[in-house]
Amino acid sequence: MKYFIKKIVTLIITLLLVSILAFLAFQIIPGDVVHSILGTEATPEREEALREELGLDRPPVERYLNWGKDVLRGDFGVSYRYSKNMNEMMPVKELIGDKLPVTLWLALLSVGITVLIAIPLGVLWAGTKNKFLDGVLNVLTQTSMAIPAFFLGILVTYLFGIAFKMFRPGAYVSYKTDFGGFIHYLIFPAIAIAIPKIGMTARFLRNSTLTELTSDYVRTARSKGASEKRILFKHVLRNAMLPVVTFLGMIIAEVVAGSIVVEQVFALPGIGRLLISSISTRDFPVVEILILYITFVVIIVYFIVDVLYRVLDPRIREK
Amino acid sequence: MISIDNLTISFSGKKAVDGISLQIEPGEILGLVGESGSGKSVTALTLMGLLASEGVMETGTIDFNGTCLLKAGVKPDQKLLRSFRGDQMSMIFQEPMTSLNPTMKVGPQIDEQLLLHAKDDFKSAEERKKRVLETLEGVGLRDVEKVYDSYPHQLSGGMRQRAMIAMAVILHPALIIADEPTTALDVTIQNQIVKLLKEIRDREQNSMIFITHDLNLARRICTKLAVMKDGKIVELGSTEEIFTNPQTDYAKKLIAAVPGRKNSKSAVHREIERIEPILTVKDLNVFYKERSKKLFGKTEHKCVVKNADFEIYPGETLGLVGESGCGKTSLCKAILGINNDITGNVKISTVRPQMVFQDPYSSLNPSKSIGWLLEEPLRAEDILEKSIKYTKETRKEMAIDMLRRVGLDEYYYDRMPHQLSGGQRQRVSIGQALITKPSLILADEPVSALDVTIQDQVLELLESLQEEYGLAYLFISHDINVIYRVSDRIMVMKKGEILEIGDRDQLFDNPKHPYTKELLAES
Repeated sequence: MKYFIKKIVTLIITLLLVSILAFLAFQIIPGDVVHSILGTEATPEREEALREELGLDRPPVERYLNWGKDVLRGDFGVSYRYSKNMNEMMPVKELIGDKLPVTLWLALLSVGITVLIAIPLGVLWAGTKNKFLDGVLNVLTQTSMAIPAFFLGILVTYLFGIAFKMFRPGAYVSYKTDFGGFIHYLIFPAIAIAIPKIGMTARFLRNSTLTELTSDYVRTARSKGASEKRILFKHVLRNAMLPVVTFLGMIIAEVVAGSIVVEQVFALPGIGRLLISSISTRDFPVVEILILYITFVVIIVYFIVDVLYRVLDPRIREK
Repeated sequence: MISIDNLTISFSGKKAVDGISLQIEPGEILGLVGESGSGKSVTALTLMGLLASEGVMETGTIDFNGTCLLKAGVKPDQKLLRSFRGDQMSMIFQEPMTSLNPTMKVGPQIDEQLLLHAKDDFKSAEERKKRVLETLEGVGLRDVEKVYDSYPHQLSGGMRQRAMIAMAVILHPALIIADEPTTALDVTIQNQIVKLLKEIRDREQNSMIFITHDLNLARRICTKLAVMKDGKIVELGSTEEIFTNPQTDYAKKLIAAVPGRKNSKSAVHREIERIEPILTVKDLNVFYKERSKKLFGKTEHKCVVKNADFEIYPGETLGLVGESGCGKTSLCKAILGINNDITGNVKISTVRPQMVFQDPYSSLNPSKSIGWLLEEPLRAEDILEKSIKYTKETRKEMAIDMLRRVGLDEYYYDRMPHQLSGGQRQRVSIGQALITKPSLILADEPVSALDVTIQDQVLELLESLQEEYGLAYLFISHDINVIYRVSDRIMVMKKGEILEIGDRDQLFDNPKHPYTKELLAES
């Protein structure tokens, strides 16, 4: 109980701090939202009028508090940049709500692919006595980690899209119209995201498995006459997974925040692209909520990792 | 029953075991004794077929009841070895904490033996569990259902070692190999485990190989001894024979180095003039803070040393014995002023007392040279005491002088800790403690990590330094024999309380407290 209360208090304090920092950052960076909205039609009078309409003429502290009050009430404000139609402004909630499923599904798929491939690969790699296989895996994982994300995206597009014709590059299908087609399209960017993560996770698991294999309890298991296979799966795997779980948590937090490069390469309307474009147009309400979302997700993911760690390691459970 | 013939094992060309031959008869307890690196453990692991892959079996054969288990030059039959391991021969390891799988409950770990070797003898998992529980009872554990469902970290060191023994004996193997099974345990627990192993041997009549560096222990439990040095067996014979009439120089040296009442080196009784104490501890209570597990619970003060009341006089050694967690180290910290959360009085009539620690491997900073390490207390003193000013040259001079005094050559000044042996490192630690010329040294298990002969040398060094400078020691050890050798007076602690304090010989001849009696029982 104490544990959960502590976690929730930490979450609230972190969100508060991050929102203040994001607000401050917007005060400091150069560029004026009014300019960017009006563009060439700007005249000093129109600018003044818009500034007043958006409440930007008030002192910063008041603006922050007003914004904060609204957010607590569940009103995330409207985007400065996007509009629903000619007469209506675009609510931030709707804007993000539209793009969130794309990023979340992409994250789920890429993490799924990573876990499904990296864990068996890592264990197999640690268990192999074959020098050749060891060398091949070493080179492969090394390479997968070294290729830049955008190039990997192009490579996947070319290979699966143009050479094997498994999907039509650039022809994103919205989840609203065809969910099956949406997932089918997402698999390929997910592969592009997963490839370096698979390399890292497999290496990591291999190394922690090899370290565990030298420990005393493995010697005990051998002295009981257990086979190497049994030792690997019954004794070592759970212990070797402990550091990997933390590592996977970091990866999940990273992809859930939106993979900007891959979203760009595959023309996906996700969170990452929205964040970049909103920052460049000084669309403060959108950026602020996006940053809070990312902070929230990262903390929640780490919390889940923490819980999982407790499940795996009885020694931590009691502390 | 088991015969090892002309066994040679090498690691990257270096011989770890060099042409040894051994026979083990049913019901026999063979002690493999010798210092670290003498090849005891390598021999045992080879016998189990657990030799690390870097080790090469160059010559020799190992036969087990007529079956050839291993033969040099022939690829070992892993399947055959696996069927013997656990079933016919089993092993008890030194570290019961790390030797059990930390993420698996104790019960299933023992059950694994049955699953691997005797699955068909049991109809169901319940039947196997019943057998495991019986075995746990057989090794003297109480509340066995709870132990069965515990993770290793939830058990005490002694309980873990009992669980380990249960695992080793559950299938009634013909041979049990115990590799330093009591080294990591407290003295009283050590005695219980030794007793248990003897009982098991008497009950089941299996053979045992008992590996230890502790000759006192070997003398108590083994029927036959093989003294090993540099991979060779230098002497082999019945325990009594070797102890009363050692043939080789090495065995003689080894036996002479064993601390204990029977050792002539220990018998000296010194007269200490007790006029003005160097350290007076009066009504000392030491606390440490423990954070409450409840949400709004207050941090609690836990009393770890209760009403300590004693003094140490110049030139005297006060031995302190007690189990781990009894407050020995907390007491030291309070005397040094590291822990200020105390009530009562500590009066010291000398410059800052210094401490010598147990583990010479981890208590020296590996990235600094020996000279730098020796000078560090001087640098600290330089900062703390305004009246003292050392130049770089005087510091170096003093460090080199100290090297000589602790029996090391000048050229060690530029060496790094990893280039030194355990004994040499402990000499450096002692030098570090002495360099600021304190008259009181707190030595926390200073020889526990060292081999017998090295231990003997370090003790001799401590004794000669004491004579030379009139040093007073507070000497902490769990080894009652070492305490007997060094102490003028002995203090016994349990659960933070000083149970008894008295003259060494009086205490040994006539212990008053039952706990002291238990401690001394097997000395």
